[in-house]
Amino acid sequence: MRDQLEKYAAKLAADRSALPEAIAFAARDDLLITAGAPDLARLAGGTLSRLNSLALVAASPSLPFAELLVARAPAGDCCIVPQDTETRTFLHDIPFLRKDELSADPSAAIARLLANRKGVIVEGVGIVAVGAITVEQAYINYSSVFHSTFVKYLQDLLADGFLLPGEREAFEEFRSRWLKPISVEGLAFRAMLSEDKDEILAEIESVGRYTVERGLVDSFFGNISARSGDLLYISQTAASLDELKGCIDPVPGDNSSTTGITASSELLAHRKIFEQTGAKAILHGHPKFSVVMSMLCESGDCTIKDCWKDCPRVRHLGGTPVVAGEIGAGGLAKRVPPVIGATGSAIVYGHGVFTLGRQGFGEAFAAMVDVENFCRDEYFRRLDGMEQR
Amino acid sequence: MLHVDLARGRCLRGEIPEELLRAYLGGRGLGVRLMRDYFTLDPFDPDLPLIFAVGPLCGTASPTSARLAAVSRSPLTETIYDCSAGGRFAWRLKASGVDALLVTGRSPEPVLLALDGERAELLPARALWGKGIRETVASLEGRGSVAAIGPAGENGVLFANIMMGEGNSIGRGGLGAVMGAKLLKAIVVNGSGETRVADRERFEAARGDVMRLFRASPVIFGELGIAEYGTPALVDLMAQRRMAPTENFSATFFAASGNYSGPSIRRECGARKDGCYGCPIQCKKSSREGEPLPEYETVNHFGALNGISDLKAIVKANTLCNELGMDTISAAATLSAFGEARGRFPLAEELPALLADTAYRRAEGELLSLGSRRVAERLGRPELSMSVKSLELPAYDPRGAYGMALAYATSNRGGCHLRAYPISHEILRKPVPTDRFSFSGKARIIKIAEDVNAAVDSLVACKFAFFGATLEEYGELLSAATGVDYGPESLKAIGERIYLTERFYNCANCFGVADDTLPERFFREAGTAGEGIEVPPIERARFREELQKYYRIRGLTPEGTFADPSFLDGMP
Repeated sequence: MRDQLEKYAAKLAADRSALPEAIAFAARDDLLITAGAPDLARLAGGTLSRLNSLALVAASPSLPFAELLVARAPAGDCCIVPQDTETRTFLHDIPFLRKDELSADPSAAIARLLANRKGVIVEGVGIVAVGAITVEQAYINYSSVFHSTFVKYLQDLLADGFLLPGEREAFEEFRSRWLKPISVEGLAFRAMLSEDKDEILAEIESVGRYTVERGLVDSFFGNISARSGDLLYISQTAASLDELKGCIDPVPGDNSSTTGITASSELLAHRKIFEQTGAKAILHGHPKFSVVMSMLCESGDCTIKDCWKDCPRVRHLGGTPVVAGEIGAGGLAKRVPPVIGATGSAIVYGHGVFTLGRQGFGEAFAAMVDVENFCRDEYFRRLDGMEQR
Repeated sequence: MLHVDLARGRCLRGEIPEELLRAYLGGRGLGVRLMRDYFTLDPFDPDLPLIFAVGPLCGTASPTSARLAAVSRSPLTETIYDCSAGGRFAWRLKASGVDALLVTGRSPEPVLLALDGERAELLPARALWGKGIRETVASLEGRGSVAAIGPAGENGVLFANIMMGEGNSIGRGGLGAVMGAKLLKAIVVNGSGETRVADRERFEAARGDVMRLFRASPVIFGELGIAEYGTPALVDLMAQRRMAPTENFSATFFAASGNYSGPSIRRECGARKDGCYGCPIQCKKSSREGEPLPEYETVNHFGALNGISDLKAIVKANTLCNELGMDTISAAATLSAFGEARGRFPLAEELPALLADTAYRRAEGELLSLGSRRVAERLGRPELSMSVKSLELPAYDPRGAYGMALAYATSNRGGCHLRAYPISHEILRKPVPTDRFSFSGKARIIKIAEDVNAAVDSLVACKFAFFGATLEEYGELLSAATGVDYGPESLKAIGERIYLTERFYNCANCFGVADDTLPERFFREAGTAGEGIEVPPIERARFREELQKYYRIRGLTPEGTFADPSFLDGMP
């Protein structure tokens, strides 16, 4: 199990969601083991030993957004409620502990919150997340909290501006140093994907890895598919896009086999996009600025409350259509296919981006990069504009 | 609680202390707790209770929660035994104001227990004795929801079911034979009361969360999931993964399994959606004529396990088992062990007569009615029973999923896939995938999953709901329904209490490390390789090492027993 702790600590460092020197994991088989920064490792071990779960991560995020959300929260609040799809579906809300609630050993207080939720924010410590049955799950839950707090903080900033001393400076540090340009530079794609199974599988594996490496996902989630005649090759549910070898399901178009029961929850959306657009490849990721901007709606007279599923409108961000729709068998599979063909990309409210390639994945990947870069530029344009006002 | 004493013909209502409901929830947990004074009784002792217990979510709009657990001691396994079943029966029982129905004694004559609102009465049932399930249910039309035994239960077949009128069954461990030994032919319930929900708004929000997760789950509502194809959706997957038990587990791939895959059943039988009352998933399927169609375990075991590829014969065998009130997994696995012992598996056309003979305990059926362990022993080939603690293994070969291998061994009711259900993560990738060919971490994972599922069986909710939702959402539903706060950790603590109580009962009945193992075949013979997948025998030393880890995690001795003989005294 130690190899698992090392693997996921390295992932947190590589995806730059945690400070490399401030990551600790704990895991329990018949014995409790810990690894990483000593103080955090003690905390992780102490907390996990109070839970009926297998693993736990405690780490300081590389960005101050989670801490800032806690600091901005009104006195008396005990959780934040991001509105992105991942939070709404899997986390529900994110509880937090303020510094003044922490004793010398806060593990009991943290365990009390983790008894009901997958991840918590501990002011002055970072994000603590639990994995019920695997170390990977702890990593996923940490990443989800990181993603959700990123999205919510940027949303809140656009709505309310900087409120706290030092907040502007911290954000500028993020903008100028943490954020990196996103591009397709240095990536190789097959210009035209053939019908060959091995070639398709190899290309899907490569593109999945690119998607994670370029930060177009939260943790490693998203999905990816290619069409070959009557077969659709699609990444499996809960698959790490950067480790897709052996995790791609072939699904026949006539549903004559159900081996694809393990396929991505977005199988239906992929299939309908292929049917309606004639595309060869589809990529779906959760790039952060696209998620943030998709939830920025300026129609003032709207009475719809559950926008993520009930909004019937097609809005646009730089020409890319934005639609509502829940994941899986929810509305996403109905609303994305009719709009994606015209531009080759579509954004789902609070969720992520679908893009397609007519010949191969190069076009799809470039489209996702373009959408995210547009949304990033648009976000800062609006923030700067607000500041100037 | 309603206590029905069949020997004295009495029906007495009483209160269940709130402390017990908080500590054990309902369903399996409550039933297991109510067995505390009886767990050493012989399964056919008239004083042994047969308990039907609903959970705190029954009667609400909680998805998949119109269920109950039946609890007693199994005549097949001699372990404590429970089985969860869905349908209107549970809902109407709760609506009669009964959380737990405890039946003891042996009636002098066949009887029928009728509950109608507050009224409970025992009625003569001699006219029903000997009748099949269909006719019994039809005879009781208009009296409410029915749970009944068929000829198998009446005749003491050790894997006899209690069948619900809508086609659900209380299966596997032979509780139908326990009911038959009490000369209780059927129970009808017709309550119409409502279940109070403490916080309706909170409840609806939690319900919305659960349904969102169902929609996000490819296994549940995916195009190729169980809502579309039923559990036979697993046929193709298990074939591809090379872990479909074939010819009494001598192989793990059956070339003709496509004949009874989910798509084939849909095409050949016109399968349409059906399912438990109040369940949005509707994973059961019925034919154009309304006949319940077989589930995954049934098609595999009457199919590959016996070398049969004829879908019609498999469907017919399933229908016959339902009509006779007999467990399909154990019936088919017993035939398979019998077949290997005598040198040939049964032919498709031989199945109906063999099943009828089993239910009526005549000719070869007298032997077959005892289940595979006793059959194999009596034929001098004990190694051919593919069972754990005498319960026949279902259709997931343990050589293809090592968590499943461990979970079969540690299950408190014998070789069952549903106690820890590691297929969920080892094969179906929910909530996250784990390496199916590794024991690493599996002892802890199985322990946690056993606790979770003991809680799920006590809510009572369907295991399939947890291909999408988690105890986080169901804890919220429970909190909203009862007004008492529950979360995943508190529910797992309850599950652990239930699990350990069951284990203690079993240890008191002399179960221990020698019983927590798998049939020899899995340690000696490889499964069928293919598609780049090797299926080697399970490494015995590694299996034992993981089992000992499991014992340490559970706080048990190396013998799998309790160091503290007064363990139960510390339990509520």
